[in-house]
Amino acid sequence: MRPVIALLLRLYPARWQARYGDEFAALLAERPLGPFDVADVLLGAIDARLHLRKLGFWPEHRRGFAMSLRIGGFAAAIGGALWLTGLAWSSADPTDQDLGSLVFLVGVLALLVGLTGLSAFQARRHPLLTWAAFTLPALGGAVTTIGVFLMATRTEDRPVIGGLSGWDFFILGSLATVAGSILFAIATYRTRALPRSGALLLGIVSTVALVSFAGSFVLGEWLQALFIAGFLAFPLGWVVLGVQAIRLDRPAMAIGSA
Amino acid sequence: MVTPLPELGRFAEPALLILVSLSDGPKHGYAIMADVEHGTGRPLGPGTLYAALARLEERGFIEALPPEDRRRPYRLTALGATAVAEQLRELSAFAELGLRRLGQTPG
Repeated sequence: MRPVIALLLRLYPARWQARYGDEFAALLAERPLGPFDVADVLLGAIDARLHLRKLGFWPEHRRGFAMSLRIGGFAAAIGGALWLTGLAWSSADPTDQDLGSLVFLVGVLALLVGLTGLSAFQARRHPLLTWAAFTLPALGGAVTTIGVFLMATRTEDRPVIGGLSGWDFFILGSLATVAGSILFAIATYRTRALPRSGALLLGIVSTVALVSFAGSFVLGEWLQALFIAGFLAFPLGWVVLGVQAIRLDRPAMAIGSA
Repeated sequence: MVTPLPELGRFAEPALLILVSLSDGPKHGYAIMADVEHGTGRPLGPGTLYAALARLEERGFIEALPPEDRRRPYRLTALGATAVAEQLRELSAFAELGLRRLGQTPG
């Protein structure tokens, strides 16, 4: 049994494991696990613990399959909007960047939730790509947090850790999120899990942001302007993909019609 | 009296899809997931699948068969068949009502 499957199984109550553990482990081993599957198993484990205690956890009106798409869609759209707002806020008032940076960070976290919710199908065919698309923004979020903390606590933007300043951490973490978004856009475009137009837009704006950032060191100011444009357009890619996901919330009882 | 599926809360919809999937014969977990995903175009996560299976088994709508290798097939019971048929008839009547109100003919 793969270690990750053994770990996931351990989250379930012993009684549940005794009854379903073996077949559940076989099921998990049958196909690649993506972030959506892991999140679903975590919720399943919580439910199993609460259900066994007869507490009744989930409210009646919540619907099953559409939930991940809807939560993911809203999180992606809100995350993109917060990213843009936080960035604009920080840029508008360089003397007091704390609140803007905090909004930006919440945006990054929301994008992670969005990516998890919207990645249900991509991992079936492209597990490594999907996990990389999740891991990069997750690490990027952590690095961005360090950057925001350093910028908030230091008055001067001087190198503090490994020759990197708070701003360096902030920008590196953000670029990791952008890089992960490119991978997610590729996986989404290839699997057609969401509209290809949204995936294409996200892929293009993310690539423009990343490539122009790298190129600006060599080719100078006009690429810096392109980088800023790409960095501002990047969250719009997520907003569009999120809105498309919400719109995909079709009537639920459509078995056989797809 | 048959327990209505809406009492399963969040798992009512996955439970119905599982029962429909088992309507043409026993299937193990992976086959149910693949069938539901193929039929609806929506993902059915492993955690949701087994949460719904456990509830359906508790209510006697499905029963487990002896495992084949490590996979365990499930089959619809007579009670489950009655419940799913009742639920589908209700949905069908509701769909017809909606279509009539839209000025469209069912089917």
